[in-house]
Amino acid sequence: MNIEGHLEKIRRLEDLRGRLDRNGDFELWFWSTMTAGTNAVNAALHHAKITPGERAFPSQPGVYSVPDENAGGFKSVLKASGDVLHVGRPPIPGPIPEDIAEMMKAMEQIEHFRDPCTRGEMTIDENVISACDRAYGKCADLLRRRLSEKKQ
Amino acid sequence: MIAAKHKEKALRIERSLAKCAPQDYEIRIEGAMLAATHWVNGAYHAMGVSADTNDILHTYMLTVNEYRRYAAANAQLIDRLAEIEDVRPLYVRGDVEGGQAVADRVTRLLEDIRNVAHSL
Repeated sequence: MNIEGHLEKIRRLEDLRGRLDRNGDFELWFWSTMTAGTNAVNAALHHAKITPGERAFPSQPGVYSVPDENAGGFKSVLKASGDVLHVGRPPIPGPIPEDIAEMMKAMEQIEHFRDPCTRGEMTIDENVISACDRAYGKCADLLRRRLSEKKQ
Repeated sequence: MIAAKHKEKALRIERSLAKCAPQDYEIRIEGAMLAATHWVNGAYHAMGVSADTNDILHTYMLTVNEYRRYAAANAQLIDRLAEIEDVRPLYVRGDVEGGQAVADRVTRLLEDIRNVAHSL
């Protein structure tokens, strides 16, 4: 996806985060947070020209849905580089700019809670919620700084 | 996770889904996927098809043999969950037009799954 598409999703996901109760609606609050953060990392990677911003949407690492110019609709193709589904899926070969590496570290902190808290029985408490919120805040702030301070 | 816990988690996620607006289609799809997965796992555990310690994460991570085994036990559950998962690349990770209508369809698939799970 291109940078503008990622930013539009981040804006709507952040709006939803604000409407959900981060404790009572933790699972969807968390998923909004994680999805927004992943969009932020993808936007930053496009901005740094590390991955291409294009109409190619990942279904699994290395497999993307792209417009089918002949038949219409979309078709699956293999691609070496593009949007990540989650940080690390697929891994991005270096070198990675320091700020994007920090964004990825923040996302790893969030991803740590994904399956245990949304699919499993890990206790959701203020420590978990605050850790996710802090990590997302850092990730979003780093993207804002990159977009405002660094020329493409 | 035991079936009763899956049900508890699915209902909790569905309560949160009710707070989403139509334009929140990415999380309506993702939330439906999460809740549906809990219903499906709970149902297969209750039927004795899978152990409490063996939850499906995503249908596309199953082997073909495993998928067929679940489908033989109840195809509606696994097929509808796969249908929900299949819209994610274009509408959650992509920005293809029509996300709200797709989220509406996914919501109906979740309802189908919940109804099947309740009927077992």
